[in-house]
Amino acid sequence: MRRSDEEILNRWLAAEEDGRDEVAEDALAALFEALPPLAPPAGFADRVLARAGLAVPVPQRRSFFAARWLRALAMLPLLIIGLCLPWLSEVLRSLASLAGVLWSPGDLVRLGTGSLIAISQGLVAALALWDWLLRIGRTLASPFATPAVALIMAGCLLVSLLAFHFLRNLMTRDRSWTHVESI
Amino acid sequence: MKTDAELVAEALRGVEEAFREIVVRFERPVYSLIVRMVQDPGTAEDLAQEVFIKAFRRLDTYDPVRKLASWLFKIAHNTTIDHLRRHALETVPLEGGKDRDEEHRGGLAAVLSDESTEDPSAAAERKDMARSLERAISRLRPEYREVVVLFYVEGASYQEICDALDLPLGTVKTNLHRARKELAEEMKALGWGSETRSAPGS
Repeated sequence: MRRSDEEILNRWLAAEEDGRDEVAEDALAALFEALPPLAPPAGFADRVLARAGLAVPVPQRRSFFAARWLRALAMLPLLIIGLCLPWLSEVLRSLASLAGVLWSPGDLVRLGTGSLIAISQGLVAALALWDWLLRIGRTLASPFATPAVALIMAGCLLVSLLAFHFLRNLMTRDRSWTHVESI
Repeated sequence: MKTDAELVAEALRGVEEAFREIVVRFERPVYSLIVRMVQDPGTAEDLAQEVFIKAFRRLDTYDPVRKLASWLFKIAHNTTIDHLRRHALETVPLEGGKDRDEEHRGGLAAVLSDESTEDPSAAAERKDMARSLERAISRLRPEYREVVVLFYVEGASYQEICDALDLPLGTVKTNLHRARKELAEEMKALGWGSETRSAPGS
């Protein structure tokens, strides 16, 4: 304790003994001033707002296109393309002729039908596989369809359920926390 | 800086930031009052939160003529008294019992003693005094404890205490006077008050 605090404390208690109320009051006030303040844990305001059902303001990530000039800049190429549409085919044709790879309509049709055939063949193969799996499943399931086997299966299920119930009781019945050793 | 009345007006218009500002501005005095009343930091935080939520829900009943602090203290007083009534047996610690709990959970005395700026022996002495003072306060009856905290810790005026506790001026002054006397007796009982003090609080 700092010397001044102890002096204040003694002054207060002496004043109380002597009945000097004003001095005692001042000294006690000074003594309390010497104490560090008490404050709630950090984030108190956030917790109050959350508990009150008010949203705690979360710093929002700024959108890339939030700036108006950036949106205008992004729109500009689209606008140019839109305005150039009437000339687009000619532009493409000239580009293709430059590259020498422009396909004729016949080539496009051939490519389309070829793709369709490939897809159909894949589908047929998948269906054949599905049929095969279905046949195996039916063969394996046929013995279980008889009443005798179904009865045996139901009996097994019942026994396993009873066993599970018994085991669970056995595990939980004698649990006692008082036997835990102190560390 | 906005005045309390301006903040309340904004909060009533639904400005969340204004309500947050009210909480930030008054969280320390409200918490400080409650924690000294209930003697438990965790419970004090819960109750302090409750105080601000009640204030938020009843903000329209606040009279701007009065000080916002007094109004909040009044809500804090009611909330704390309700809590103390519900837990009547826990308010006044038995000799030694609460202190041991306090040591375990790093209670008020631990919070009060700021050892970072003092040498170890001075810090230990200061902690000792803080602990004794808090113990003495905790032994006061709740109505005395409350006026002591409001007057000496929060610096509230007599009138503000009257407003907050709904008590006549005479009662507040009497309670304060008696509380101070009792506090002095408690401090003496804890070994303080003589120049050659030996083992206070032991």
